Amino acid sequence: MAKSVVSYGSYIPFLRIRREEYISALGSCGADIKEKAVMDIDEDTVTMAVEAASDALAGVDPARVGVLALASANFPYGEKFIAGTLVEALGLSGSVLTSHHGGSALAGSEAFLAALGLLDQTDREYALVIVSDAPQASPSSGLDHGFGAAACAFVLARDGSGLEFEGACSRAGEFMGLRYRTAGETGVRDIGVGAYSSMAYNETVSASLSGILEKMGRIPGHYRCLVMPQADVRADTALAKKMGFGEDQTRDGLVYNLVGDAGCCTPFLGLCRALESAGTGEKILVCTYGAGSGSHSMSFCLNGPLPASPRPVGSLLEKKRQIGYIHYLKLKRII
Amino acid sequence: MGAHISIPMYRRTVPQRYRLAGQRCTACGRVNFPPKAVCRYCRTGTGFDSVRLSGRGTVYSYTVIAGGGAPPEFSEEARCKGSYPVVLVELEEGPRIIAQLVDPPEEGITVGMKVEAVFRRIYEEEGVIRYGFKFRPV
Repeated sequence: MAKSVVSYGSYIPFLRIRREEYISALGSCGADIKEKAVMDIDEDTVTMAVEAASDALAGVDPARVGVLALASANFPYGEKFIAGTLVEALGLSGSVLTSHHGGSALAGSEAFLAALGLLDQTDREYALVIVSDAPQASPSSGLDHGFGAAACAFVLARDGSGLEFEGACSRAGEFMGLRYRTAGETGVRDIGVGAYSSMAYNETVSASLSGILEKMGRIPGHYRCLVMPQADVRADTALAKKMGFGEDQTRDGLVYNLVGDAGCCTPFLGLCRALESAGTGEKILVCTYGAGSGSHSMSFCLNGPLPASPRPVGSLLEKKRQIGYIHYLKLKRII
Repeated sequence: MGAHISIPMYRRTVPQRYRLAGQRCTACGRVNFPPKAVCRYCRTGTGFDSVRLSGRGTVYSYTVIAGGGAPPEFSEEARCKGSYPVVLVELEEGPRIIAQLVDPPEEGITVGMKVEAVFRRIYEEEGVIRYGFKFRPV
């Protein structure tokens, strides 16, 4: 049997801000969102990580977890061994193999792929991958409008029935000036040249996507679902269509318009959502993108039923409270 | 400013603060939380098995802390929210503990309301984030 995801959990903060709040406060909203998730004053990427991971571990003995891979481009500390907090909060073994991934929105797939490899270095059965992110930008920049927050976690087993990992393909190249943050800055910047940004995105993502199709010897029609990176949904839709994927294949993994851009977590939250309606035997492609620029495409096949998550993405999307723009600025410590 | 629980002292209580690690008295069987040297119920038991509390319970009593009444370590939270509720929760395993309530229902808090523990930032001092548990309506 191949390495598979045997359980998963996700978390979306309770607070939301609607597009209309931006329009009423600023005159416009620079993102194609209906609403987005906002962390409360006492939340950060570590507390969201604990929420998602607790759900993923619901039916798993924490002592059998041998690998912990963490991903976030926005850990609450610039330097500190973050896995220690998760080990204590989740009751994992102190001898777990750990790896931290950050620096771009590619961190989630990097952690996932690293965990698959690290699983060969432990005698224990499971690896836990936690992807939690909440990108930040100055509210005056416009980049902030689409930035949301979310977390998800996956338990991988060396041999198990569930979402089988089939293979991955990568693309890495240099495109500077897109979604970057110099050391010490808290918010990301972007030179804001649309044509350049689209070129970087299309070149990078299409290379990793066509790479995985070639590697697996498949055509888009073999996949039930394609989960796109969702940092720019218009670009995603156009590229998926150009590559031969239909709207019915990308629909199930869409979360951006209700959660916002949750950085390296968005495509994985999309995967969790897609899993809620996927049937045994169906294949799923997950594609990630980190500006600068890199992309991973990962191919999965659902070879057996997964335990239902205690809190499905659908119910997390329903459970919410709307806030106004002033409250939002308070939560961002602007006022 | 903050409540000056030293970092080494806070660290000693990490298992109970992060994952509600409690202890079951081997003499009387009751669950102690936070952990004690001698069982607070039978007052004789000194042997314990460690147990992880479920975090589920019901509101036994509550109060609302208005902005001006918040201790200094919670002043940032009070400034943002205006006020915040604090609940006394009776856990499924028996112990009663005090913590903040997040995402309070719009119709108000009621005694007997079901809640579950959540892992949150409690406060920050010396640039060090103190994590711990709060409660949330189920």
